Amino acid sequence: MGRNRRPSKQMLLLLEVLSAHPQQWRHGYDLMKETGLLSGTLYPLLMRMTEQGLVEAEWREPEQLGRPARHVYRLTAAGVTLAQATARSNATPDQGFALA
Amino acid sequence: MIEALSRALMQLATCCLGEGRREWAFAMQAEFEEAAEARTPFSFACGCLIAAWGELPRHAEGRLGIVSHVLVLGLLIPLAFLQLGCGLGLSTGHGGFDVGLGPGGPQDPYLASPQLTAMPALHILWLMLGAAHLHLAWVLLERDWDRVVKAGALIAAATLTLFIFMEVLLLDTGTLMVLAAELAIETGFILALARWHARIFPNTAPATTGW
Repeated sequence: MGRNRRPSKQMLLLLEVLSAHPQQWRHGYDLMKETGLLSGTLYPLLMRMTEQGLVEAEWREPEQLGRPARHVYRLTAAGVTLAQATARSNATPDQGFALA
Repeated sequence: MIEALSRALMQLATCCLGEGRREWAFAMQAEFEEAAEARTPFSFACGCLIAAWGELPRHAEGRLGIVSHVLVLGLLIPLAFLQLGCGLGLSTGHGGFDVGLGPGGPQDPYLASPQLTAMPALHILWLMLGAAHLHLAWVLLERDWDRVVKAGALIAAATLTLFIFMEVLLLDTGTLMVLAAELAIETGFILALARWHARIFPNTAPATTGW
């Protein structure tokens, strides 16, 4: 069920940050700080991207005692492909994007 | 103070996200601790609440919640305040009454006395109706269907009693008919909500109501 839709500016920003180290798992709050996105923008974006298979999430044990387990995120193979496509499209801005 | 308020907002956000997004609610809660440590809990919690509200129309439970709130805020609460207004003697235009509205009117000395004597009881009935509607609004939002049925039965009984009293006292029951029509519409909406709730949560369907 793919359809061509240009990713939003916020999504491009998140893709750029996540694709800088594609294998690295990132916490939501760190992503907020790095992208400058607010929680009200970041979380819906992460939810959508997870549903689209662009981002994967898993739980990690807390680093400090007494803290809750934290969600971490990274790009899937499809997400990395899209990130690369968006990076290439900077040179050719009219190119479309196929989101799952 | 700010942190307590922020935690309350996070709780609200968790509730709004519903069962389908429970994992995301826990993820937000965990990151909230980081935001609290970084002294930005309020903006983080507000963002999470906005995100949760944005998610409401995307899942069935959220849509049910929106429709329930629209019904409560748009119909039940205004109706309750109108009835409380009648009970407190603030309104006679909508289902309200005074002795002068009766067909016998104030000119009829035989009716004026019993009508005046019955006024306190009628006012109490209106107040009871208003209070029952507020209670109904509350339990409807809690989706406590057993108590919804009880509140509905109380409202029906109070309306019928009011109707009988007003008929016996030859008071104008025309506006009470409008109230009865509103109650019928309200009952229809509540039945539809109950069926919708039963479809979304088949395991928690109201067993005693037969809905």
